[in-house]
Amino acid sequence: MIRPLTFVCLVAIGTLAHGASAAADAEVEVILNATPREVRVGETFVLEVRANVKGGSLEDLTLADLKKYPELDMISHQTARPMQVSFGFGSGMKVESSLSHQYVMRAVSPGTFEFSPAVAKVDGKTYRSDPLTVVALPSNGAAGAAPDAPAPPREIGEELSGARYDPRAFLRTVVEQEDVYIGQQVDLMIYLYTRVGVSGRSLNPSKPAMDGFWVYDEQITNLQGSVVTVNGVSYRAYVLQKSAAFPQRTGELTIGAPKVAFDIGSMSLFDAPKRIERTGVPVTVNVKPLPKPGPADAVVGKYSVRARLDRGTVRTGNAVTLSVDVTGVGNIQDLRIELPPIAGVRALQPVIRDEQRFYGKALGGTRSWEWILIPETPGGHTIPAIEINYFDPDTQQYGSVSTQTLTFSSTGVATPAQPAVSPMQAPAKREAAVFGPIRMYSALTRGASPIRERTSFAWLLASPPLIFILLTIGVSLTRRRKRRKATTAAVQRALIHEARAALRGNDPRTFYDRIVASITHALVTRTTEPVRGLSNAELRTRLVAAGFDDDLVRRVINELEGADFARFAASGTNTEEMGRCLQRTETMVERIHRVRGKA
Amino acid sequence: MMRVLCVALVTLLAAGVVSAQQPEFRGRALKLADIFAAANVAASRGDHTTAIARYQELIAAGVHDPDVYFNLGTSLAQSEDYPRAIFNYERALTLRPSDSKASANLRNAEKALEETRAETEGEASIQRSSSISDALYQRFTGNGLAYTLLVANFLFFAALAWAWARRSRARGLYALLVSSAVLLLFSALGLAVKSGLLREGPRAVVLEDRVALREGPDPRARVRGEARGGDRGELVDGDRDFVKFRVIGGLEGWAPAISLGRIDSDDATH
Repeated sequence: MIRPLTFVCLVAIGTLAHGASAAADAEVEVILNATPREVRVGETFVLEVRANVKGGSLEDLTLADLKKYPELDMISHQTARPMQVSFGFGSGMKVESSLSHQYVMRAVSPGTFEFSPAVAKVDGKTYRSDPLTVVALPSNGAAGAAPDAPAPPREIGEELSGARYDPRAFLRTVVEQEDVYIGQQVDLMIYLYTRVGVSGRSLNPSKPAMDGFWVYDEQITNLQGSVVTVNGVSYRAYVLQKSAAFPQRTGELTIGAPKVAFDIGSMSLFDAPKRIERTGVPVTVNVKPLPKPGPADAVVGKYSVRARLDRGTVRTGNAVTLSVDVTGVGNIQDLRIELPPIAGVRALQPVIRDEQRFYGKALGGTRSWEWILIPETPGGHTIPAIEINYFDPDTQQYGSVSTQTLTFSSTGVATPAQPAVSPMQAPAKREAAVFGPIRMYSALTRGASPIRERTSFAWLLASPPLIFILLTIGVSLTRRRKRRKATTAAVQRALIHEARAALRGNDPRTFYDRIVASITHALVTRTTEPVRGLSNAELRTRLVAAGFDDDLVRRVINELEGADFARFAASGTNTEEMGRCLQRTETMVERIHRVRGKA
Repeated sequence: MMRVLCVALVTLLAAGVVSAQQPEFRGRALKLADIFAAANVAASRGDHTTAIARYQELIAAGVHDPDVYFNLGTSLAQSEDYPRAIFNYERALTLRPSDSKASANLRNAEKALEETRAETEGEASIQRSSSISDALYQRFTGNGLAYTLLVANFLFFAALAWAWARRSRARGLYALLVSSAVLLLFSALGLAVKSGLLREGPRAVVLEDRVALREGPDPRARVRGEARGGDRGELVDGDRDFVKFRVIGGLEGWAPAISLGRIDSDDATH
């Protein structure tokens, strides 16, 4: 078992040793190349820096002169790092790796650009490429300057106006006319001078404050730079803003300090870019009033004017279009035209259109007016000449241009205009809300508590149910009394009826028993107390207390005693006596029921 | 003879009391009438600022009249202060729900406010009451419902007592019982609605264009939402100068009391 393991270890050690010896003999190839090596200004080329390493570890690959030339604009950067592992019987395991940087660059000015060799470090050893030379030839057009960007002065001495100098990057404001008339064009350029590479995407310029100016900015479509030497140092200068500014008031007007921020640094993913911010300096412009004497309505610039009618004859009531175009150099938005009144013609509000453009450096264009004229009376109509007064700052002279007199005629009688859209089809207009009229009379009632909060309301509300409840109770009691009375009377009648039956059946025992029961029932009903078992004296006392008179008491007691006696000695009674007893009992019961209680 | 003397004495005393009270009452009424007339003249001339001040003076003096609220709402609407106009039309309608002109003006003010807001913000709507009970009793006054309740109450129990006492089963009596019971329930429910028993607090209108609804009665409290001018809701709580306002839509929060108008209040003047 030990032998195979020892063998494997020896093989492994031998392999590592062989690998180490292979590293010592690494094959390294460093390449610096440009395709093509000769370009014209504005054209791009690919600068490639590559290191191919076999059997070693690549530590670094640099090109020192990459950012040496500001005349070369770096557009993009790509990095490739392929790796390959191979095994061979003769040489064992070998690692092949390479690192490649490809820079797409553009020459912005002609020249010969010499790049020193690229340097690669492999396992602590340094390897170099051959040097490279790229030649940029002048382009077919103007060399160095972008087509739409005016080039700044190529040489600037110690006196650097409109800028706060910085060795790496600074902003410069250039105003070509610092002493102008009110309304005269001021050309404003803002440049970024830089010795570091600028990424167009990261560039973020801020416009300066321009209070007191009407400003027309020319759009900067792409970032084009030119090489400028400042105090003997080459800079790349980019145009950030190009404007035509027209002062709107006299005195000293200040153009504020511009600002810009942009990123610099490696284009690779692994190196964070660095943010740079720069602020320029404010620039003052002296604005003068227009020289006197001169027309009050004069505008600054130089213009021509043209007027036309779209037809010469029209039916009365139909429209004619009058067009006036004023074309020239200057701020056309300062132009004003008041159409003089025309007898028999109604003029609607004009439509105004502006078309501005640069004539070289000067801003100008055409301002057009269109009036709809409606002749209201037939006949010939004359449009008087329209005059434009201007002040030409170049010649410092006033001038004027005017249209020719125009005429047109209308025929026929005016007909009332028909609405283009019938009222039913007309779009609904927003109606103004109507709120009036106000009320001239008011009772001026003062804050009175609502009825529901008054005490009387609660009583009034509670009264019907309370009355209903009381009424219900009263009626119930009455009914109960009646029902009770009706029951007592029925029992009484039944007892008398049974007594009468016993009389007819000659049954004295039963007869007197019913007689006693009838009187006792009448007494219980009346006194509401039991009377059976009482002695005569007690019965007398109770009946007297219940309001019975003495005669009735005496009769009741006598009748009860007589009935009791006869009940137990029935043989001694006859039918006649029983009949009289029945009559007496009926009379006595009635008297008992009529007895009123003592107060 | 004695009885005649007593009646004469009571009559004399009553006349004396009435005559002693009349001058003050007349003077006050005249003064209020003068203010009302001055306000109307200012409003007729288009001087709505003066008119508004005069109408508010009347309300501050205790006048609680639907016509005064109507005129104040109209002057505010003419001044394009639509939220306050809505507030005053609401108060006029609370006192006189059958006032069709006030209802129309209220709708116009809401529409004008929505259109004005829509022009600047693209879209606008006002949160107004949408409860069935409010809509059902919109045209009834509280006093009218109270009188109806009393009459229905009397009729119902009278008919019931009659039916019970007489043990009557007449159809007419049953019809009277049922109809008076329905009227009794309707008026009782209406009175409950009018007196706010079914609400958690008095009704209110947002008077400012935007009112922040905060989580607490403090201007530094976190804002929970926003109510817009003319929005309706209920005041569910109060704390010093802040009130807790619940918008019809359900949003609830604390707002300065001065930014809201209580419709059901007698003493608030805005």
